[in-house]
This record gives sequence, structure tokens and C-alpha cells, in this order.
Amino acid sequence: MYALVDCNNFYCSCERVFNPKLEGRPVIVLSNNDGCAISRSDEARALGIGMAAPAFIMSEFLDQHQVAVFSSNYTLYGDMSQRIMDSLALFAPKIEIYSIDEAFLDLSELRKTDLRQFGFNIRRTIRKNIGIPVSVGIGATKTLAKMANRHAKKHYRPASVFWAADPALVREMLSSTPVEEIWGIGHQYALLLSRSGFKTAAEFLKAPEEWIRKNLSVVGHRLLFELRGIPSIAWETEKPVRQNICTSRSFGQRIADKTRIAEAMANYAASCAGKLRSDKTCCRSVQVFIQTNPHKTDEAQYLRSVDIDLDRASNHSGEIIKAALRGLDLIFKPGFLYMKCGVTAMDLVPESSVQGSFFDGADHKKSRHIMRTIDQINQSAGKEVLRAAAQGFERPYRLKTDYLSFRYTTRMSEILRIKN
Amino acid sequence: MELLYYETAVPAGFPSPALDYMEERIDLSRELISHPLSTFIVECTGDSMMGAFIPPRARLLVDRSLTPVNGSIVVAVLNGEFTVKFLRKNEHRCWLVPANSKYQEVKISEDMDMQVWGVVTYIITDTQDLRNCMR
Repeated sequence: MYALVDCNNFYCSCERVFNPKLEGRPVIVLSNNDGCAISRSDEARALGIGMAAPAFIMSEFLDQHQVAVFSSNYTLYGDMSQRIMDSLALFAPKIEIYSIDEAFLDLSELRKTDLRQFGFNIRRTIRKNIGIPVSVGIGATKTLAKMANRHAKKHYRPASVFWAADPALVREMLSSTPVEEIWGIGHQYALLLSRSGFKTAAEFLKAPEEWIRKNLSVVGHRLLFELRGIPSIAWETEKPVRQNICTSRSFGQRIADKTRIAEAMANYAASCAGKLRSDKTCCRSVQVFIQTNPHKTDEAQYLRSVDIDLDRASNHSGEIIKAALRGLDLIFKPGFLYMKCGVTAMDLVPESSVQGSFFDGADHKKSRHIMRTIDQINQSAGKEVLRAAAQGFERPYRLKTDYLSFRYTTRMSEILRIKN
Repeated sequence: MELLYYETAVPAGFPSPALDYMEERIDLSRELISHPLSTFIVECTGDSMMGAFIPPRARLLVDRSLTPVNGSIVVAVLNGEFTVKFLRKNEHRCWLVPANSKYQEVKISEDMDMQVWGVVTYIITDTQDLRNCMR
């Protein structure tokens, strides 16, 4: 048996833990740059606010219904997520963290007979200890656990726990789940299935195996097994090794000035280099791109990218920044209003296997030591206290985060203040 | 806490007799926080708990996993507002009790919305601030 634990409206719930006045009120959290809603409380859903609804279009509506609006505070959500995942790991010997707010637990080695009670226990503990409401779905495979979770959210409130324990309960769940809601089915296959008369997961199970193999290939076949209760999707406890590392963001406002873009580019390059160092990898090539706003159809459009190969694989901030800025020199064209730029570290190799080039006389041991020292200082003194001059200080291109809450759990200067 | 390792030079004279007895230095956060996953740090700004040695600017360690008992200092949410008070309770009802005669205790009735957010386990104060509690 597997469990899928999913935090309800996770980002909104995090905001509520430190702001109890929001209880019972509609709350939404906006995407990077305050673009659109990416998390909605139940009350906000009830108002009809859609996922990915652009905030500027609905600002009047939000005022009128007194919706509490937040910029995304990933520092806070990341720490709350870690607390939850570490707590969940105490419930089962094997856990697979699926996303910031979801985790699978492998319950096969647990000697528990009443898994529904086990689900209640998880829910009660996370709610009390960390303050976040979760839903728990339990089933014979990961696909069924995921479906059970959806079923719990839809039909078993407020308990929000569903265990597909026997054939009758599995049937109940399968027949009330539309095919497009099956985990991993994909848009195309869902469309094909419902057009062919298989509208629910239960009907999908009744489809002839030959037909499924022919029309839905190996993916569909695997899903069929999963729905029958035979585990066919691998358990992934190891973090997949990243193939490349990308940092790209939209600017707060459009920028024409090259020096400002260079500053943003340097910051994204430094962020890539930092991620490389924490993964203990180096990149052999750096790709950069700049882009105008494709939605402004009346303005001149420009999009270009270029790859810069490094002489020697590196994760040194200075070297990555230098490569990124060389790339910008190659592709920048004046006369456009740029909306976005990005840096991707590509062709990654483990730090330990980096080979020097014959002609390169730099003292790499020393520069590695310098980067490590800088990382340590930044870790204890605050993010990016030390940085390359090219990264600048004012960051006028910075994301719009007009409604940002405090980083209550990671910054001493931003902890919850209580007037008692 | 992060441990730093140094490449220590071997003394040329006598080896340190303490070498075999070296231990990790005391880590306060490990000593004071028994449940790190459910412990949060908050700061007080009011004076209603002066008598309990919680002056304004005191930092409190708050453990959400603990169940409050009669006499616990708690962070409570009363009608949507955070507050820090003593919790007094018996089988029938409970009160939020300040530690300052300037303030009244609050008897929690049916129609009030009160929840305990967490239990205060430690108080961290600057001794300069603490002097205000002694007046």
C-alpha cells in the first residue's frame, strides 16, 4: 500500500499559519512577478478565481471581495515544506518527495491494519505541529494513492482521508474519477479515451487490453496495471541528477538599457554557479538568452540565445558570470524593450572529474577555496552579502513582490511579532 | 549547527593531553529545541507578561507539538489576534491570564474563538530588558 500526502492550498495555508486573521477569508498567492494566482484558498475558489488568473485583470474584483493577496514567499514555503517532509519521514520507512507540497509514503513494510486511522494520524500531526492541513489518499499503487487523495479532497471533507481498502471502495473511487484526472495520463490520451467512450477510470479499466496497447502505447498499459493495483511505477527516493541548471526571470518592468540587463544576467549566472556548487557539479557550457515581451504584439520583437563554451568546466561564479556577459555582448541588440533574460549552465560534469586544460595556468585550488569561503560567509551572514561587482546592488530589474509576507522561520529580523 | 574542520598542525613539542578528550562544543539550539520541526521563534512587543519575565523584545521558543496544561505559557489566537498568556484551565473552562496587574484575565466562553497556537518552552531576554520586569 502507498499513501499520497498532499498539503491543501499549500502556499495560502503557509500564510495563514502566521496570520490567523486570514482564516475563513479568501486568500490567493501570486506567481513570480505578481503575475497570476498560483494558490487559492477554498474561499477564493468559491468566488470563482481561476488558477493562473492574471492579477491585474481582477484587481477590482479582488478589492471588492476583500481577497487577501500575497506575492510568493518561497523562502517561507520552502522551510515549511521541509518541516512537513521531515515529519512525514517519521511515519514510514520510505518516502518519495514528489513536489514542494506532496509526498508518497511506501506503507508496505508497516504492520498497520487500519490505514485509515493511520491517515487521520498523519493529518492530525501535521496540522497540529506545523499548522498545515493535508489530505491523505491510500491505495495499492502510486496511481491509486494519488487518485484516493483527489477523492478524499472531493468527497471526504472535512476528514480528507480516503483509503481504497476493498474492491467496493476502489470501485467507488474509479467510477467517480474522470479519465483526464488519472495521474500521468496526459492530455492527448485522456481526449482519445473519452472520445472512445471511456469517460471514467472505471471505464478505462474495462477497455480491451489489445485496444489500450495499440492506442495508448506502453504508458497506457502501465497505467492499466497501476489501476488494477499492480505497482508498475518506480519508486524514486534519489533526487534525479540535474542535466542542466537554468535561472531565468521576467523583469519587474521592461528594460532597454544594456548595463541593467547585464546586471540581471550576472545575478542569474551567479545563482546558477551557486546551484552547481551545492550539487558539486561543474558546467562546460553556458547558454544565455534575451527576449522581448511576446504579448506586446505592437512592439518590435527580438529573441536570441547563444552558447558559450568554457575552456574548462567550472562552477566559479566569476567564470560563469564572465561567460554569460560575453554571451550578452554577442546577442544584445539596442532598440528593443526587453522583458526577460536567462542563464543555463549546460553539459554538467561532477566537480571531482574536472580536467584542466594544458594551457591554462590559473590556480584552481585557490579559486575553489575562495568560492567555498564566500559561500560559507553568505550562508551565515545572509544571502549574497558577498557578491561579484557585476551583480550590482540596487537590482532595479527585480521581481515585483508588492505583497510579500515575512520570512518568519529563516530570518531573525522577520520573526512573528506578538503584541501581548 | 555546522562544524568547521581545520587542518590542525601537529605541535612540534608535546602532543596536547586533551586531544583524546575533545568533544563537540555545546550547541544551545540543540539543547533548547527538542522538537525542531514544530518549534518556531517569535518576539513579544507588549508588557502584559512582565511578571513572568517576558519584557517587550523577549524572544520565545514556541513548540506546537506540545499539549498545554494548566499553568502553561501559551501563544494563543484569540478572535484572530495572537497573544501570549498563561493558560489556566479546569475540566469545564479555561482562561487566558496576564502577568501584569494592568491587564484583565480573559475567561474563554463558548462564543469566543480561541485556539492555542503553541506552548512557550523557553524565554530569551536581554538582561537590560529584564530590568524593566523588576520595577
